[in-house]
Amino acid sequence: MPAGRELDLQLHLLDRQVKGPDGRLICKVDDLELELDEAGRPYVTAILVGPRALGPRIGGRLGRWIVSIAERLATAEQASPPRIDFAHVTDIGSSIVLARNRSELSVTPLEEWVDHYVIARIPGSRHESE
Amino acid sequence: MKRLFAVTLGILTAIGGFVDIGDLVTNALVGSRFGLSLAWATVGGVVGICLYAEMSGRVAAVTGRGTFDLVRERLGPRFGLANLVASFLVTLLTFTAEIGGIALSIELVTSVNYLLWVPLVGLAAWLIMWRVKFSLLENAFGLVGLALVVFAVALWKLHPDWSGLVHQVVAPHKPHKEGLLPYFYYAIALFGAAMTPYEVFFFSSGGVEERWSAKDIITSRTNVFIGFPLGALLSLSIAAVAALTLLPRGIQVDSLGGVSLPVAVALGKIGLAIAILGFVAATFGAALETGLSCGYTVAQYFGWQWGKYVRPRDAARFHVIVLLSLIIAIGGVLTTVNPVTITEYSVVFSAIALPLTYFPILVISNDRDYMGDKVNGRISNTLATVFLGVIVVAAVAAIPLMLLTKAGQ
Amino acid sequence: MRASDLLGRPVLDASGTTLGRVIDLRCVQDGPLRGSMAAPSVHELIVSQRRVGSMLGYDRRDQQGPWLIRLIVRRLHRRLLVVPWEAVRLTEEGLVLTNRR
Repeated sequence: MPAGRELDLQLHLLDRQVKGPDGRLICKVDDLELELDEAGRPYVTAILVGPRALGPRIGGRLGRWIVSIAERLATAEQASPPRIDFAHVTDIGSSIVLARNRSELSVTPLEEWVDHYVIARIPGSRHESE
Repeated sequence: MKRLFAVTLGILTAIGGFVDIGDLVTNALVGSRFGLSLAWATVGGVVGICLYAEMSGRVAAVTGRGTFDLVRERLGPRFGLANLVASFLVTLLTFTAEIGGIALSIELVTSVNYLLWVPLVGLAAWLIMWRVKFSLLENAFGLVGLALVVFAVALWKLHPDWSGLVHQVVAPHKPHKEGLLPYFYYAIALFGAAMTPYEVFFFSSGGVEERWSAKDIITSRTNVFIGFPLGALLSLSIAAVAALTLLPRGIQVDSLGGVSLPVAVALGKIGLAIAILGFVAATFGAALETGLSCGYTVAQYFGWQWGKYVRPRDAARFHVIVLLSLIIAIGGVLTTVNPVTITEYSVVFSAIALPLTYFPILVISNDRDYMGDKVNGRISNTLATVFLGVIVVAAVAAIPLMLLTKAGQ
Repeated sequence: MRASDLLGRPVLDASGTTLGRVIDLRCVQDGPLRGSMAAPSVHELIVSQRRVGSMLGYDRRDQQGPWLIRLIVRRLHRRLLVVPWEAVRLTEEGLVLTNRR
């Protein structure tokens, strides 16, 4: 009987909130990247993030449409959806906790775009509410 | 002592914050047409929202997570997305109704057409959502909303036959001239007005904003079990004064002025002024809640950082969603569709969307992996499941009844 | 490969009859070490005849309430099969059971 914790991918990992070490919210587990080991058994190598990862899980025409829009907006280097290597995961519980925070990964391009072009230009965006 | 103050503040805020444009319009309208024969629907709605809010408050306190975050986890991305779209649209519709409500309230005071107030109201709402601290926002509008107690005062001043009123509530008798279908249609509307989904998104996200933990469960329960029923008494007062002053004269409520008319009759100009102050506070507070809830739902589904507890630059997408929702809501009011009509539709659609988020919360509040030992007790579970049945029936019956009665005529 | 490539995939027996679809992948954290944790590796497929979403967690815990919902969900997912990973082969049509045990 192999030692180690038992996890169901759908029940315990997929669609879970991903947080940084400071508790700040980063993203959801939109899909998981799997590779095959020497015995041909798949294992989790990374968390996949964003519309290109989520689209196929929503499925149907809507899912394909989401993926095609996202692909059009992505640049040439970003050939596959943003990924967070499983090596960054420090805890799997009610949420997935990482050792890196959002600014150190680059899995949320929309947030950065919106922040840069919209929010940062509105006065008061740098400060906590009073 | 400080604890007592905090608890009292919470209760008062819950009472004052309970009523929004949906409750104002629907209760007054129902009172003017059906008397108190539909009071059971309001009572039922309050019991339902108490159960619902208690569960989501407890879930937020124990898990530190917002509603839609958990909805996607439990239902999966596909059903979660369908759920999100429906809930978001209903919340957006309600947001539009609230913005309209604020503008109508200001029109009552100033006699300047409500449409001219809309952009100003929108700007004020956005500034407050952008800059003002969450707790201040909630407390300020909740407390000023207590001005609506003037309806209870008006009721007392009208010297009603109390035993007759109670008789109407416990032994409801549909008025002769109203049909059975509109009767049940308005029962669903009252239900939707009391059990608005956004209330729960806001309540549970607010719990996370205020960093609730397991020890705050008691505070959350006190607010819910004392505050909400007292708030419901305000709703019933609004219906009762309309029943006493408007029903005998055959005057139907179809405007915000009509809602305040009974208070003007009972208490004169001063009562009217206080009522309008209450309208402004209640609708403004609800506008802030629905606006933020538009952001909470979308951001929580996708896992984006949300909330006012971080600086806007750290939750850019959340704030953009709130801003876009506000722009759409303003646009919706500026189409010149009567805000009262928008309100009437928003409460019925709230009733339709209700099971979508109620069901996952019921499941999660029973799940020990999330809740530890703070799962639902047997009795509350039975009650909550019965209610699930009730709201599913209401949701399914709503559209046919709406079509058959042409939205209540 | 992605988890979504396996989830929802039909599971067929050797003669080509569909036994159901994969609704979950039961893993154990005994894969290659990545960072501070061993990666979860797939040991079993949870297969259901119905596609109705997930089990909502009702398969895991015996006494999760409310009982009425538990009853309904379990009836909808009446027969859950647990299939070891070694017993299947990934093909175009889906995951096919081989005769190795």
